[in-house]
Parts: sequence; C-alpha cells; structure tokens
Amino acid sequence: MSDVRNYEMYKGVFQGYNLNPAYLDEVFSPAGEVLPHYSLVLDQFQHFTAEDFKELNELAKVSFFNQGVTFAVYSDKARGVERIFPFDLFPRIISAQDWNHLERGVIQRNMAINLFIQDIYHKKQILRDGIVPPELIFSSSHYTKAMLGFSPIGNIYNHISGTDLIKHSDGEYYVLEDNVRCPSGVSYVLSNREAMKKTLFNLFRKHNILSVQDYPQQLLAMMQSVAPETDNEPTCVVLTPGVYNSAYYEHAFLALNMGIPLVEGRDLFVDRNYVYMKTIYGPQKVDVIYRRIDDPFIDPLAFNPNSVLGIPGVLGAYREGNVTLLNAPGTGAADDKAVYSYVPDIIKYYLAEEPILNNVHTYRCELESDYNYVLEHMEELVVKPVDESGGYGILVGSCSTREQREELKKAIKANRRKYIAQPIMSLSLHSTFIEDENKFEGRHIDLRTYTLLGKDKQFVLKGGLSRVALTKGSLVVNSSQGGGSKDTWVLSK
Amino acid sequence: MLSRIGNSLFWMGRYIERAEHVARYTKVHYVSSLDAPLAQNKEIALESILDMVGVQAAYYQKHAQLTDDDILYYITLDDSNPFSIAANINGIRENARGTRDSISIELWEIVNRFYHNVNNYNAAKLQHKGIFNFSREVEEFCTLAKGYVSNTLIRNEVWMLISLGIHLERAIQISKIILNKLYDVAKIDPSQQGGTLYSYQWTMLLKSAESFDMFQRHYKNNATRRNILDFLIFNPSFPKALTYNLNYLQNNIQAIGFQEEKTKGSLTFKIGKLATQLQFLTIEEVEENAIEFMNKTLEKLFNLARLLEEKYLIF
Repeated sequence: MSDVRNYEMYKGVFQGYNLNPAYLDEVFSPAGEVLPHYSLVLDQFQHFTAEDFKELNELAKVSFFNQGVTFAVYSDKARGVERIFPFDLFPRIISAQDWNHLERGVIQRNMAINLFIQDIYHKKQILRDGIVPPELIFSSSHYTKAMLGFSPIGNIYNHISGTDLIKHSDGEYYVLEDNVRCPSGVSYVLSNREAMKKTLFNLFRKHNILSVQDYPQQLLAMMQSVAPETDNEPTCVVLTPGVYNSAYYEHAFLALNMGIPLVEGRDLFVDRNYVYMKTIYGPQKVDVIYRRIDDPFIDPLAFNPNSVLGIPGVLGAYREGNVTLLNAPGTGAADDKAVYSYVPDIIKYYLAEEPILNNVHTYRCELESDYNYVLEHMEELVVKPVDESGGYGILVGSCSTREQREELKKAIKANRRKYIAQPIMSLSLHSTFIEDENKFEGRHIDLRTYTLLGKDKQFVLKGGLSRVALTKGSLVVNSSQGGGSKDTWVLSK
Repeated sequence: MLSRIGNSLFWMGRYIERAEHVARYTKVHYVSSLDAPLAQNKEIALESILDMVGVQAAYYQKHAQLTDDDILYYITLDDSNPFSIAANINGIRENARGTRDSISIELWEIVNRFYHNVNNYNAAKLQHKGIFNFSREVEEFCTLAKGYVSNTLIRNEVWMLISLGIHLERAIQISKIILNKLYDVAKIDPSQQGGTLYSYQWTMLLKSAESFDMFQRHYKNNATRRNILDFLIFNPSFPKALTYNLNYLQNNIQAIGFQEEKTKGSLTFKIGKLATQLQFLTIEEVEENAIEFMNKTLEKLFNLARLLEEKYLIF
C-alpha cells in the first residue's frame, strides 16, 4: 500500500528508531506505521536533517532563556546558575475523539472531588456511609479543622485542579494522580505553544489546533465568579512567595496575563477582617487571592507561626466571607495518594455515574492484605509516599536495588499509612529529539490537564502539559527529576 | 500600585542611571589616564574612579596599591564590591524581575539579556575586551533600556516611577561628578603645568557627563570653569543639567499625585523648593563656593529620595 508510511521511510533523524513492543508508541503503530493524526507532522519533519533540528532546538532554547523562562539551580557561585526547562520540538498530538473523552472525565472527577471536600468539612456523610474510612481523612496532615462548617462562595474548594494522566500499553488513559493544592506548570503550556509557533510555524497552517491562549481569561473569570459581593469590580490578586521561589516565573506570568497585581505576603495586611494591599496611594481592599503559598504558611496566626510568607489574620477574613482564597485551605486532604484509590467510589457516591476515566489499581499499605502483597511483590510495583509531591520518595521496584527495597520495607513498617503501591504502569512512548544522539528516540510521557471550577462553570485547558522523562528508560517525568516537556495539541476534528 | 512595586520601579530607574554613569566615568578617566600629562595626574584619575563610587577605603582594604587592572576589575565585576557595575546590573534585573507584571516584555528582555551578558564576564574576558568596550556595552544597554522605558510603557505610575528614579539618580550622579572634579582640580599643583592640567580635568568633567559635544556647540569652545559649571548646573534645556532634571522631577511628582497635604514637609513642597531655587540662582552667585553649594544640593537630593521612600514606597 503506497499511502501507508513507515518510520523507516523517514531517513536521517528517524534512522534506527526503535519500537519497543512493551509500550504503546504515540506516533507509530506496532508495525511501524505512522498513526493518521501524526502523518502531517512526520511529512514535514522528513525535510529536516539532524542539523536543522539542532538549529531549531537552539532557537527555541534562546527564546526561552531570553524570556527568562528559567528555574534557578543552586550552586556555590554568588549568582545562581539558571537553566531552562527542557523543551522538545516534536509536539504531542491528541485526537479530537480522545480529548472529548478526557475532558468529560476530568470534569466529572474534579466535581466529585469538590463534593467530597465539601462533605468531609460538613456532614461527613461519605464517611458515615462507610465508603471512605474516616481514619484515612482524620489522620491526614492536610485535614484542616479551621474549615469545619465553613462554606466558601459558590461551594467551590478545588478551583484549580491538575489531573495527571498516562496512556497504558492497553491503549487506555489512566489517572495517575490528582493535584488539588495549586498545581503548577500551566505557564509552560502557554510558553511552549509560543515557542512552537515561532520555530515550526509551517506545521500550524496544516492543522486545526485548539488554542490554549484563553486560559488566563478563563482563570480570571473563574476568580471573579467566586468573589465576595462588592460595589465595584472585585480586586483579584496572585499571591507569590517571592522572586526566589522556583515557580516565580509562573506566578508573574499568570498575573501579567490576567492583568492583575502579583503580590507577596508583605504587601497585604488584615484590618477588621478585611484584606488590604499597600499601594502608593494608600490601602486598597482585596477580594480574591489566588495563592501560590501552601496552607501551613498562609496565615501565621492560624497555622505555622514562623511563616514570613503569609498574611496574619487572613483566615479570619476568609471565614467571615470577606475574601476568597483559592484553592481553599484543606483541599490537600483529598489529593492524598491514599484517597486517590477511593475516587471511583467517590464519583459513584456523589454523582451516581460510572467513572469515565480509569484509576490505577492501588495497594494501601494500611490494609493487612495489601500490606503483605506490597512487601512480597515490591519488585513489580511503584511505591509512593502519600503526601510528597514533585516525584520525591518514589521507588520503582523494577529499577531498584535490594538495599533500597529493604530500606523502604523498614520505612513502611514504621508508618503504614504513609505508603501506597501501584503496578508499574507502562507510560506510553513518544519520539523525542535527543540532543546527544542527534536523532529521535522514544521517551516516556504523561499528561497534566488543568481544570477550573467556578461558581456554576467548568473549564478544561485544551491539552495540558505533556511531560517527558528525558533519561532513557526512566518513568519519572517531574521537572525536578530531569524531565522535559512538549507542546500538546488537541485537534479540533 | 503596590508600594513594593513602586519601590522596585523607582530603584530599577536609579540603577539603570547609576550603572551608566559609573561605566562612563570609569571609561573616560581610565582612557584619559593612559596619556595623562604627568604621572601624578594618572594617580588622580585612577583614585577619582574609586571616589566617584565611594569605594576608595574598601579598595585599599583589599589591594595594597593602585594598579590599573585591580581598579578596573574592582569597579566593574568584583563580587566583593557591592557597588560594582555588575552589582548595579544585578539590581536592575532583580527589580525588573519583581515587576515583570508591570513592565513591558521588551524592557524585561533587554534587561535579562544584558544581565546574562555581564554575568558571562570574568577578569580574563574583561582584559581581552578592554574597559572601553565593556563600558560602552553598559552605556549602550542603559540607553536601550531607557529607550524601551520611553517607547513601550503607558504614561502611568509605572512609567512615572521609573522616570522618577532615572532623573533623581541622574541629578545625584551629575552632582557627584561635578563635585568630584572640583575636588580633583583642587589637588592640582598650579606650579606644574597648571594650565594644561586644568583644561584636562574640565574636559574630563564634560566627557564624564556625556556633555562635551553639546557644550562646544553651545559655548563655541569657550571652555572656562564658569561656563562649564553654568552649563551643567543651570541649563534648563540640556537633559544632563541639574536644573533640567529637577524641573522634570517636580512635574513628575505632581503628576503621580501622591495623597499628601501640601505642607512644609511634603514631597511636593520640597522638590518645588529645590527646583525653584535653581531656577532663580545664577552661576555668579555660586561659583565662588561651588564645592559647598554642590555638597548642599547633593544632601537635599538624598533627603528627597529618603522622604519619597519612607512615605510612599515602604512596605
């Protein structure tokens, strides 16, 4: 058949491209045929040599560096070294059909999680009905007593959710993790798209790709929908820990693109349960705070008294309904990796619907049978602490040493509630330009989607952040662990 | 606007102007010192560079002698000198980074790019490129940055506060340069080639203030002490002159419209008094006691800056 293109037709950069039958390849079928939604990109790529790619790669890098899309790497030099977040020029493409399924799935999931959070801070019906064990919630360090009996405006808790998905070797998407405590990374989605449009503009003419640029406007509209009632247009702000925070670029980026102030804790103060910011013309009332500071640091009066990042008294103003915080304090009790395993039940319980997205089977070490299974099958499992983020503390059984496993077993015995385990999921592979090799190779990827929940409105960013594990064979995609990213295209049909 | 942002914008403006003046002063003095009429005069030129930045004592703590390379490295790049040109560039960038949601992308990118450029310098590269090229890069960057300030920003508080910083710092730097040269001139021994040395120092004053050409156009080569001081202090239409910058500050502070009573201690009152004083003084009244006059003016400028920060830009 003449119209079936095989990767072997693409000489040069795809020379010697290895298909690994153990994993699903996003671009090629097991027989090496280019999947239909990738064919136009591959046709374009065959006009490039490895040298061309190198050049394009450099162009994109310079663009990121000059924009200051960097994170600091600490060193002994007086001024820190700055690195860009590695970016790959081969876009990840999601068909309209797949996307439709994913979008419905993450909205369903995050709305159910929202109802769950509301419930655990009010009637706790789901605990009474024995669907979720009460100890699981009450033992969580994120469960926040200050939220008991309080209803935020619009009854929204997880205004912004990051749902991490992977595509398994069975061709199905699975949810790997829910992030409902101010997930980060969305600025990379928008910056990646800009970089792609500058370097590979030809590709955009040939595809109908859904835009990501409306995210800041959607975010602002969501913030306004949950503002306390005011006479004027509500004042919304982004609260950052400051320029030395590794995600500062993102905080500034979002504030800039929404056209609202970027504030630090020291810019704000509370007077008679209202929050104000200090301006050159005197105090100005603040109505909605998108805070990028973790719960324990947000109010030294209510939580960690040593925090210099937060605003003394803000929680009092919040409970009076005079200011909206997003996400709400205490949402972390729901994105705990042990609670994750109950999400399908949570969806059925509140929405009386079947979950649209799959959950990965999870072993909870606190259950006797699961505990024994994990200890005996550690080599076939991924073991994760329930309350860490950024990929820290994860053990991939198949890549671990005997000592590492023994050490972890001890840690689990000491604190069973802290650990869960999952079968090793086969994250799909996506061809990625590898600089050192000067050619394309398959690398594991995942997808973080961003869902906004406002008063009577839901929005999902079209696409999201495709993270790539750049190290050969690695399954850990976090940027703090050597991951990179790709522009993610959702086709409109 | 947040007071913290106001503070950062104000200081971004000040650091841009300061980096430019220090770079130019260093370049002019170093290049002139290479063929200075007398060896003693070379020393005056080199020490003058340290005095301009106020780091003579700190320099001697680190180095026993005045040597060209040590001075140039200390003034431009040395991490142990908090007033080096690199430290100023870092100050510009840190303040720009903290106000990225207020300034234009163009302004941010030029600042960020130049910061990395300077960060890539070390002693060897400085020596290879030479102080003339290094300083010219800094001056050109500062001019570009100010170009973006003028051409990409809305004329609102953001622009006004950066401009306030630029013009206040310029008034301070020009005053310091004048004062420094007055002191340098006072060091000259008139019995030794007095005439040549005087005109040599006055030329350096004009070049350090980037005013040499305009002065010549204006005064047709009539470079006397009186004419030079008159030009740099009292000319209302020359952008480097003290009076020009004070008038600018007065308009700017009124335009920002800080919420204040127009009392004796207010910002509007103080800048008004300072600017008007210069409008109604003549060179004849100050030239005899020029050092005293410049010292007093400088003190008033520092007080103005302090008042502005303490009242409106504190957070």
